[in-house]
Amino acid sequence: MRALALRTENVLATTALAGIMLLPLAEIATRRFFETGIPGSAPFAQNLTLWVGMLGAAIAARDGKLLVLATGEFLPKNLAAFGHVIGAFVGAAIATIFAVGGWALVHTEREVGDLVALNVPVWMSVTVFPVAFALIAVRLVWRASPHWTGRAIAALGIAAGYWLTAHQEILEGAALWPWLTALVVAGVLGAPIFALLGGIAMFGFFIDGSRPVVPLIKAYAELTSPSANIAAIPLFTLTGFLLAEGKSSERLLRALRGLFGWAPGGTAVAAATLCAFFTLFTGGSGVTILALGGLLLPALLKEGYPERFSIGLLTASGSLGLLFPLSVPLILYGIVAQNVAIEDLFIGGLLPGLLMLGLVAALGVRQALRSGARRLPFSTTQMWAGLWEAKWELLLPVVVLTALLGGYATMSESAAIAALWALIVQRFIHRDLPRMRDVLRVAADSAGLVGGVLLILAVAVGLTNYLVNAQVPTNLLDWTQSHIHSRALFLLALNVFLLLVGTVMDIFSAIVVIVPLIIPLAEVYDINLVHLGVIFIANLELGYLHPPLGLNLLLASVRFQKPVLEVMWATLPMLGILALGVLLITYVPWLTLGILHWMGKVQ
Amino acid sequence: MSARSFVKRTVLVAALGALVALPLAAQAPVTIRLATGAPVNSAWHKALLDMGAELTAKTGSRVRLTVYAGGTQGDEISTIRMMRPGVDQLQANLLTLGGLSQIDPAFDAFGMPFFFQSDDETLAVLQKLTPMLDQKLEAKGFHRVAWGSAGWVQLFSKKPLRTLAEVKQAKLFTSQGDDRMVQWYKSNGFNPVALSANDIPAQLKLSTGMIDTAPSPPYPALMLQIFRDAKFMLDVHVAPLLGALVITNNAWTKISPADQKVVSEAGAAFERKVLAEAPKLDADSVNTMKTRGLTVTTLDPKAQAEFQAAAEKLVATMRGGMVPADVYDTVVRERDAFRKTKGR
Repeated sequence: MRALALRTENVLATTALAGIMLLPLAEIATRRFFETGIPGSAPFAQNLTLWVGMLGAAIAARDGKLLVLATGEFLPKNLAAFGHVIGAFVGAAIATIFAVGGWALVHTEREVGDLVALNVPVWMSVTVFPVAFALIAVRLVWRASPHWTGRAIAALGIAAGYWLTAHQEILEGAALWPWLTALVVAGVLGAPIFALLGGIAMFGFFIDGSRPVVPLIKAYAELTSPSANIAAIPLFTLTGFLLAEGKSSERLLRALRGLFGWAPGGTAVAAATLCAFFTLFTGGSGVTILALGGLLLPALLKEGYPERFSIGLLTASGSLGLLFPLSVPLILYGIVAQNVAIEDLFIGGLLPGLLMLGLVAALGVRQALRSGARRLPFSTTQMWAGLWEAKWELLLPVVVLTALLGGYATMSESAAIAALWALIVQRFIHRDLPRMRDVLRVAADSAGLVGGVLLILAVAVGLTNYLVNAQVPTNLLDWTQSHIHSRALFLLALNVFLLLVGTVMDIFSAIVVIVPLIIPLAEVYDINLVHLGVIFIANLELGYLHPPLGLNLLLASVRFQKPVLEVMWATLPMLGILALGVLLITYVPWLTLGILHWMGKVQ
Repeated sequence: MSARSFVKRTVLVAALGALVALPLAAQAPVTIRLATGAPVNSAWHKALLDMGAELTAKTGSRVRLTVYAGGTQGDEISTIRMMRPGVDQLQANLLTLGGLSQIDPAFDAFGMPFFFQSDDETLAVLQKLTPMLDQKLEAKGFHRVAWGSAGWVQLFSKKPLRTLAEVKQAKLFTSQGDDRMVQWYKSNGFNPVALSANDIPAQLKLSTGMIDTAPSPPYPALMLQIFRDAKFMLDVHVAPLLGALVITNNAWTKISPADQKVVSEAGAAFERKVLAEAPKLDADSVNTMKTRGLTVTTLDPKAQAEFQAAAEKLVATMRGGMVPADVYDTVVRERDAFRKTKGR
């Protein structure tokens, strides 16, 4: 029975994913041959993206993968168990409030009868809100503790949340700071980030006398926005997950070693490049280390690279792809920043991305020369054989970028092409996914990751709206303008600030929360929005490696079974050289804007 | 104190309390939060602020109006949602045709391209239809306080447009949330892209934006700087952009009858002002934009006739699918009746 329910959930999420992949492609095809196209293809795809996000969030809660602040890992064991229960209590309370708000939205939409398209009513689409948030609440309670006492305490969160929605007037006109403090403490103890952000928004709205349905109306508008290209996030992530399955990584590694293996440091360069290639799809760099660490570490050791260096290299490489075209964080930045073309971000990130990759590769070459790592004999036939074998994977970015930058397909359509391409290659050409059941598993896994991200996007719209109403960006602007008088100083302050943000927050939450606050500042200090995006992501890339809380350090420690401290020392040289890269990217805008300038896209 | 006198006292206090509270309840201040996509500092925004000041003064602060302009509360679909009885986040809205037809498809009759030829004609038909439209709005929970007009919709594009064929080629903005409209465009060979109206300026600015052509009256095109990116305007007077100031029935019934009268009067003044200003705003905005680099394309009589003929065919296909048949017939009848009496 439980297995059936879980399966239904996976199948639903996968079907929605398939819908957002196939609808735009079918629309292109039918419009070519018949004038009409598919009625409602765009609004249906937008609403299915909402379903992928919300069902994915429920799956993430089920699998314990909701994004949390990186602080929980460092709590002492007793406190951690206690913190986990408190975090679950608060998370369940906030999720319950959102579920009640979602239910109210279903109710009003039923009365009004707005349509998505054809005869499909909006209320049917928004039903996913109360369902997903209720599931999240229940699952947070279930996972709160292995003991029933812990679960019972966490379950009180559901009751507390429900009680608050029935008595929200007690909050009207109250001060926000006690609630804010409580939420932040819960976040530090391990409450999911969505509860922290959504909770601040919700309490802010309650204090203004607004009902819990308001943030959900905003979330619905954001997640189904036709201009935001949100569908690109699940589709590119699915692409990355499909490629990470099976032997794609081995094929690519052979191809890259054929290309670079003969040169000093060739294998290190190949490893870093391969990591970058994977990260640009999966975005959350942790996936890269987990997926490729097992393949790349032995390869490096075999060639004679010291273990410590190899671990450092792989840990750092885990986030190298974030600046390259198709990177999910770049897309998310474009969505949140609004007035910037994602295509321009792709072009702008190219040189900075290559710079970061080059810096890490340079360390690899130096190490190879020092420790006399083995080189492969150069062989043209081997090189061609490797490239030929990996041709489908290597062609993917070429096809997608040609479609996108050539203006043949929109962002969402390009993402759909990428996902379909990866699916056909992995399922039917290489047969790395031998059964449809494997495809289902991979799709549900990727929906889980995407759900964590889109959940934060959904609740953060309410937060941003609240902050704007409370004039926080305006006040921040005034403060900054009166304290920071030069552009260079502002950039330095930005570097330091983002470094701190990057140590506690994952890249997606950081983008969603911080970007709307920073953009008015950037406009005042005359910083191009593409440049700002690249600075932002380069900085957060660094945050992954920064002691004490960098996410890559923790994941590498798990993957390579080494203490965090050791991984930290191993990564230090990389961190140093990448920090140099970030400074170059920040203070030499030409790196980002040069090509765009040359193309006439920026003045 | 005996139990009896306690009860007596309590009753007395309660009765006194009720006496004091009754008139207070009737006069409890009503705060109306009004959202609109009208640009900040535009003539319409200012007219709303003036109206708010007037309401505060004339009702002794019993009716207060807070205006959120520039689409800061979201696009029309979202702000309408926030006016629903179970939500009640916003109580009033200055909507354009897109939002109004979202509430009731009867309003689509006023969006039919090249159907009306002058303000007089439009207003005459609107006047005839007002009772029916008001009734439809009431049924959906909205009370109309005033009509408005944002001027005549022209086509703003990044590349010059001269013929209907070129218009059909363009990536043309249409309002999100109305898939019937999208299908209608597609089946007539257009390339519609459904977006929120708030997205128009940004999407035109982007080098790889989703649209390259947007229908807009000149004044918003000037205020939102649309003309800086869409440097060409096809002067074809597609349709007047009808607007309406609506308030939720919920909020309306909370206002005392005397104050309702004040609101209605202020609404009428708002309507007179906005309707009277519209033609001048259109003309002045075009002139200003021309001095700042806008190229206006006017059609020669032959091309104009071609547009008109094609449009009549297109409009005929809207009956039933896009515009409810009875409304369509009424609008055609009233327009033709007006043309007969006034001559052309």
